[in-house]
Amino acid sequence: MQAIPVETFCDGAGYPLALRMEGVSKRYPGTLAVDRVDFDVRVGEVHAIMGENGAGKSTLMKMLAGAFGDYTGRIVVGGREVALHRPAAAKARGIEMIHQELSLAQPLSIAENLLAGRLPSRRGWLARAALLREARLLLARVGLEDLDPQTPVEDISQHEAQLVEIAKALGNVPCILVMDEPTTALSAHEVERLFEIIGRLRRQGLAIVYISHHLPEVLRIADRITVLRDGRRVAQLAAAEADAARIVELMIGRAMNEMTIRRARAPGPVRFEACGLSRFGFFHRVSFTVREGEIVGIGGLAGAGRSELARSMCGIDPLDEGALRLDGRPVAARSMAGALRAGLAYVTEDRQREGLALRLRAVDNVLASLIAKRSARMAPAAARSVFHERAAALRLDPLDPSRAAGQFSGGNQQKLLLAKSLAVEPTVLILDEPTRGVDVGAKQILHEAIGRLADEGKCIILISSDLPELVGLADRVIIMRKGRFTREMQRGEFDEDRVLLAANADD
Amino acid sequence: MSIETDNNTIGRGDGRRLRIAWHAALFDALGIYGVLLALVVAGCALSPRFASPDNLLNVLRNVTLLGIVCAGVAFVTYSRHYADLSVPAIMAFSGLAAISMQPYGIGASLAAGLGAGLLVGLVNGVAVGYGRVNPIVWTLAMAFLLDGLLRWFYAGRQLYPDAGTRPGAFFLGLSQRELPGGFPLPTAIMLGVILAAHLVMKHTKFGAQVQLVGAAPDVAHTSGVNVPAIVVKVFVLSAFTTSVAGLLLTSMNRQGTFDTGLGYDFNAVTAVVLGGVSLQGGRGSVAGVLGGVLVIGVLLNLLTLLGVGSFGQMVVKGLVFVAVVGATSFFARRSGRGEP
Repeated sequence: MQAIPVETFCDGAGYPLALRMEGVSKRYPGTLAVDRVDFDVRVGEVHAIMGENGAGKSTLMKMLAGAFGDYTGRIVVGGREVALHRPAAAKARGIEMIHQELSLAQPLSIAENLLAGRLPSRRGWLARAALLREARLLLARVGLEDLDPQTPVEDISQHEAQLVEIAKALGNVPCILVMDEPTTALSAHEVERLFEIIGRLRRQGLAIVYISHHLPEVLRIADRITVLRDGRRVAQLAAAEADAARIVELMIGRAMNEMTIRRARAPGPVRFEACGLSRFGFFHRVSFTVREGEIVGIGGLAGAGRSELARSMCGIDPLDEGALRLDGRPVAARSMAGALRAGLAYVTEDRQREGLALRLRAVDNVLASLIAKRSARMAPAAARSVFHERAAALRLDPLDPSRAAGQFSGGNQQKLLLAKSLAVEPTVLILDEPTRGVDVGAKQILHEAIGRLADEGKCIILISSDLPELVGLADRVIIMRKGRFTREMQRGEFDEDRVLLAANADD
Repeated sequence: MSIETDNNTIGRGDGRRLRIAWHAALFDALGIYGVLLALVVAGCALSPRFASPDNLLNVLRNVTLLGIVCAGVAFVTYSRHYADLSVPAIMAFSGLAAISMQPYGIGASLAAGLGAGLLVGLVNGVAVGYGRVNPIVWTLAMAFLLDGLLRWFYAGRQLYPDAGTRPGAFFLGLSQRELPGGFPLPTAIMLGVILAAHLVMKHTKFGAQVQLVGAAPDVAHTSGVNVPAIVVKVFVLSAFTTSVAGLLLTSMNRQGTFDTGLGYDFNAVTAVVLGGVSLQGGRGSVAGVLGGVLVIGVLLNLLTLLGVGSFGQMVVKGLVFVAVVGATSFFARRSGRGEP
């Protein structure tokens, strides 16, 4: 899609636009993920979208990529209103996405990846010379002219893969390029190179949508910044007149006051110890302790290795190094079942895929964790009483044991998931994003429940990207960055700004 | 080594990854020819008869049909659809159809034999590609259905080609013919099919598309590859080489029955995976598959020379299958490429 008459499609200030979204909304069951958002990108502009996790950034971008058949509002591309209900429709309008997870096929060569959808061929035979020639041209556009296009993608560095991904998108001659957290895996030096390339593409007239929560980077690369919170646009400002403090304030908003801060309590004895935990490529020499009745929060950016740490502690993923101790006794958590027996429970961040069997009844889900712990099957009456005890405490709504888990709202599914973990009566509870995508009411119930569990003496490890939640619940916050613990803050030393800035701190 | 450098590389992050890669390389690509060499050396040491030209030709002869089947099935595995378990049924169907049509001439007979296979392949491909049915379950179901249909239609009888007619004699001669120099025709066909399949897999646009579908179906889809159409072609290709093998086997047996291709399904998967085609898709080559086929041939030949009976040989084949599938899945998982 080229040759669109951009002259006639301008914003109020007279700049030609590549894209305008007017009052777009997207509803997921139970939540309005994007709520009447206006957004536009000028030709030759980098427009950043910022917001906390769950603010609606990803949903907005998925909408632009044609992932939803049911958004509402108007999207205008190059002066024409378009319906982006299918990925193919977005591509046909010249919208290319570069996802956070790279979409390159590992055993294939760079060249084959770059031209995957339109391999050159002559009478069926792969035209290798043409393939390599075109691949080299694309690589040169992202400053990788030295890279041999025949190299398998699995042999190149993450940073090169990121650039190859951009080259692949450029191959489709986009007019709008959407980049979702493109710097997560890059070092400072590599970020510089990426920014040079983005600068060049901008000068060539490409409209770039840049999603990130790395503040300093956004302030450097963006021309304009749109801040989203709870699915709504709360501000749009020129990057030149923005500063970090102001944006953090906009991202967090007044939410800080809604969250009640858990009152401090006298720390109990140390019960859980993790010493020098490593999993190569994910986290490195991580040590910490949890006292009885303490909530230890682990903060950090997506991809910092927090979930991987949790999964390795519970034996879901392997642990390469280090030891766990509970009450001084070593815990050999080689499997989830072993971890459960030892008294560790893990509440996954992905309730739909890993947490709940959506088609099974609520009661079966809650009791599923007991299978590893008990040798005999539970009598139905006993099962029901366990279910009622757990579910009632979390105010599950409706309190119906035979309803399929998938039929509950997101918040109530999360309650089921927590109930499932509590059914095994763990000593240590590892919560991974316990209120992600949950409405305010359920969130409050879950927060109260977590606080109550700590008061009962459980050791709680809380991984959360929800800053008010982390700051409000935790007795102590540890910041994880690129697989290492970089900072530890005691109650009173941390607030939302400090956690966010520490998570973003450059080494 | 700092975590940053680990994060910044895919696949060659640290010593551990490299070690795994080295283990996995044992099964990758053409590493199988090392195993073949070792077996041949062992064979020469263990049995004086092993290295005779007659015996080596015998090995080739014995794996001829397996090689032809594998040339097609390799594409199914390469596209991450694991295996075509309807192989035995396709072989039986092809043979029976060819014999049934012999009264109408050589052309009709061969067309019926190959057409029968292609039809089954098309049905498999449409069901798996467009219907998104699990390929293992579907092709297994297809095998049962065809088996039942063939028993029912032919009332469980065997069919014999009539050597007195020209088509019958031609059909029986297919498997007996030799090239100048005494090289058996079926084995030459096998080598030709393997070579053609190798070129298709590695040097055509179709081959590259199959690889992408196998390595990353979602990427293939978002890159504009028509994934279901590729899946259909893969199953049709598999069925085509399988029906060629079915015709030759029927000719060799001098009869067509409903159980003609018994055992070829798992033998084929074993050889394909042994030959380095990854069950995770997108890795391997047909040249490697030939190595896998030859390893199985040499192994069974050696066992025969050492006096191990056919039941014992089945146990060995089973063990090889279990070991290969287990080991490749294990290493793929350790190196982070497998399914969780």
